[in-house]
Parts: sequence; structure tokens; C-alpha cells
Amino acid sequence: MEAIYRPDLEAIVELVHDGARVLDLGCGDGELLLRLIASRHIYARGVEISESAVRTCISNGLSVRQGNIEEGLLDYPDQAFDFVILSETIAFLNRPVPLVCEMLRVGRRAIITFKNAGFWRYRWRMLIGRGFGPTLDSNEPRERAITLNDFYALCKKVKAKVTQSIFLVDQRRVLYWPELLAEKAVFEITKLP
Amino acid sequence: MIVQTQYFHYDGEITLQSGAKLGPLTIAYETYGRLNEDRSNAILICHAWSGDAHVAGRHSPDDPKPGWWDDAVGPGKAFDTDQYFIVCSNVIGGCGGSTGPSSINPRTGKPYGLSFPMITIADMVEAQRLLTDHLGIPSWLSVAGGSMGGMQALQWTVSYPERVRSAIVLASTARLSPQTIALNEVPRQAIYADPNWNHGDYYGKTPPVAGLAVARMIGHITFLSDQSMREKFGRRLRNGKNGYGYSFEPEFEVESYLNYRGHSFTKRFDANSFLYLSRAMDYFDLSYGLPSLAHAFRHVTAKFLVVSYTSDWLYPPWQSKELVRALLQNDIDVTYVEIESNYGHDAFLLEVDRLAELTRDFLKRVESASVSG
Repeated sequence: MEAIYRPDLEAIVELVHDGARVLDLGCGDGELLLRLIASRHIYARGVEISESAVRTCISNGLSVRQGNIEEGLLDYPDQAFDFVILSETIAFLNRPVPLVCEMLRVGRRAIITFKNAGFWRYRWRMLIGRGFGPTLDSNEPRERAITLNDFYALCKKVKAKVTQSIFLVDQRRVLYWPELLAEKAVFEITKLP
Repeated sequence: MIVQTQYFHYDGEITLQSGAKLGPLTIAYETYGRLNEDRSNAILICHAWSGDAHVAGRHSPDDPKPGWWDDAVGPGKAFDTDQYFIVCSNVIGGCGGSTGPSSINPRTGKPYGLSFPMITIADMVEAQRLLTDHLGIPSWLSVAGGSMGGMQALQWTVSYPERVRSAIVLASTARLSPQTIALNEVPRQAIYADPNWNHGDYYGKTPPVAGLAVARMIGHITFLSDQSMREKFGRRLRNGKNGYGYSFEPEFEVESYLNYRGHSFTKRFDANSFLYLSRAMDYFDLSYGLPSLAHAFRHVTAKFLVVSYTSDWLYPPWQSKELVRALLQNDIDVTYVEIESNYGHDAFLLEVDRLAELTRDFLKRVESASVSG
């Protein structure tokens, strides 16, 4: 697979320690898992809903199961992984709260990344009346608009705390006013004791 | 590919799961490809209910029909005989050359009939283990099978965890559902109801052809799906031009298909074997006597490829998911794929191209893991 520079994926790699046990939910064709294997030598597992993406994973030598993550993670015992990752997927879930709870049960830490709906360009788009996410005629699945404050509220609800956060715009890190300036957010969270 | 069925004779006795003893045993088997020097490329293929040891190739150049899974086993195929040493044996209790109810009981000089002891999937695996020792195979690179063959593959990983490096389980289950037991019971009743069955004592006389044919017809219904029947037959009539004949003669194409399949089956299969094998499946439950299904796999180290087919209602995807869950709870390396197919249970035999891609990638990974330790 061609290694295109993906700052959001690299941010996740940065958070994961060497040799960690990682479960990637909605792992697609396995790009993130392969990056993590290459640079962090992780024990990699994935779940993916699409048969063709699962096939691509298998051809890349990954151990992946086909399944719908919204049916829960009952397959995995408590604290079976160091990290459970939900990359660019939370906005497309019907019911994010139960899944995030499950992630925190199965993993010591959860890494969640999403597009920040509070990013100034998105705010501007909404202001001029174009809405958030895919347009009605684009045939893309509907997407939830999530701001950083929405995410903090979710953490509070599931009794989790943010242990790391990385904010990105284009190829760069955002250090100030992420609510407004970050296009993407990468959070590492853990269950409060 | 020309192959010959070979026979392994075991003079001892084995103790069956029921506690009964069975022996001496004959096991019919075929092999394809070559065992490599370190004996690490052997794959055991386990057949389903009506299969036998003849999985691929032909017995002679003018043999009209190849083995039952010839599409999947051969040079360059899903199970590549250029790379792997493939073994397939007929299960005990069957009628394809291995010891079964139609074999002669050496103690009486007569066919066993219903005096043949009840056998289970674990007993089939025990017989295969004897063959494995005879062939000098320390461990299987993979044990693979669909349906009842998948049950044997699962049983191998549980009975002999140190001798199985991977299992490929297609359209199967770790325990039969009540629906599937029901769908086994009705065919059995059809055989019991045939007076020629005579409590299993029909060898040398007229066999229960009518009962066995009905039994097989029920089987064929469960192997197809609502959708595949609609596509294959629709409501088409045998004499479409003339319209309805208003009689009980076979009118619809689906009827003649079932009649044909049912009756041709009676020429090659023994009714008692049919009964014994269906009972073996009913008894199959890896969680039997254990607190949970996950418990059954606690010593298992094999890697798994589990495949289900969306339209299979005999062993539906939820059963494969239940299996996958039990495996994952033991931190076992599982790859699970649900293949979108309209062919019903038969899909595991028919969707060979889509399977080949998976087995190739999976077996490659199992081999590389074995090398690196």
C-alpha cells in the first residue's frame, strides 16, 4: 500500500506504544493497522462491515472479522486491548454512546477521531446556508455534526476523561482555539476511576 | 488429475464418545499433491453429510464425474495441490469405503445395520487421527471443511490442539440449532416409515429407496434458498406449452428437480449411513457439559478462517458469529467473512472463486506464522 502522508493517522500512531494490543473498529482496508504494525509492531485486530474491505485486509495479512460495530463488542472480554480505535467513524453511528462505553470496557484507552463541526470553515459554510456534511444529492451516508464541546459532553456522560488530544488543520497541528481552528480532532480517552 | 482411493486398515479398537468400542476399522482416503520434506504442508479436507474421500480429480481418464469439490481442490485452486499435500478421508459411519453400518461386522460375518454403534463428530476425528499417524503427519497446516466438514475441523482444534495450525470452517456451526435438528429428524422419519428399511436390516434385500429419496429431497430444500429456487426454477412447468395438467404427476420444474436428486442419491448412498451421520450432527455441541461455548476453545491455538453465507438458512450467519464470539473470547486469531450469496447452504460448494481468494491469503499467513515460530 502506498504510504500517503495522513497526519490524522500519524497522530494515532504517535499515541500508540510499541507492541500494544490494538482493536480498530471500522478498520476499512486496514491502512491504519498496517501503519501501526510497521512502526509500532502492534498486535492488530480489526472489525469491518464491508465484505470487500475485509477481503482487502485479509490479502494484506490482517486478522479481521466482518461485523457491524453497532451490534456491540460482546465478542471481546473486558480490557482485552490497550487501545480501541474509532477513526473517522463516530459521526456515522446511529448510537455512539453505547459503543463508546463498550470501547472503554474492552480497551484500557479509546482513541476517537472526527471532523470538528466547529471548525471556522464549516461554521462559515453553515452560516451561508450550505449545511454540514454531505449534500442531499451526494448519495453519501448522513453524517453527524460533532463539535469539540459535543465530544467533551459525551466523555462526561460515559464517565471518561481525555488523556491526550491532537488537533489538525490541513497538514499542521493546531495549538490555539481548536474549537474554531481545528478541522480534525484526535482524542485519547480513558474511563474515570 | 487421476487419483485412486486408498484404504488404511486399523486392527485395533477405538473407544467412541458414547463409551462403545469400534474396531477393526477401515478408512478410505485420497491424497493429492506432495508432502514436503518437513511434513508441514498437509491439509485435511473433511467432507459433509453426503460426501466421500473423492474430493477432486477423476478415478480414470474416462471417469464422467470429478470429485465432489473439484472446483476448489487442484493445481492453482483454492486448495492448491501444487503447494499443499491434500488429504480427504471418508468419515466412519459413512458408506464411501470407511467402516460404517453397511460394513461387515467381523464378529458376526454380517453387515452391522443398526448394531453399528452411534458415532459422533469427535469419533470421526479420532478415526482421522489414526490416519494422520499412519501418514506420518505431525500436524496439519489446516483442517478445512464446510457444513459437517466444518464441524470436524472445529472438533480437530479442540481434540488435538497441538496438531492443527489452522482451521477453515465454512457454513458450519459449533452446535446444531433446534431448527437444524428438526430438519434432520424429518428425513429420518421418512426412512423409518419405509417398510423396506426394516429397522436397518435390508442388506441383500430391497433397500428403503423411497424413504431415502424423500429424506434427500428435504435435504435439497434446506441446501437451497428461497431466492435461489426462484431464480433456478421459478414457477416454470415441465410442459410449459400445455399449461397445467391437473394431476399429481410432477408438474413444476422444482418438483422434477427434487425427484431426480432424491432418486439419484439412492443409487450412491446407504440409508443407514444417512441416519447415523445425521444423528452424529445432532449430537454435535462443543459446549456439551461445559459452562459455555467459549470454554470449549480454552486450549485451542489454531488460527481460524470462518466463512458464512448470507442466504444459508441451514447454518445461518448467526451461528458462525456465535462461533467467532466464542473464539475471540479466548483471544484466538479469527478471520471472519460473511459472503453475500443467494445460493443458500450450497454456496460453500459453489462460491469457489470468492473462497479461493480467502483461503490463499489465509493459508499464506498461517505458513508465515509457522516459520517465524
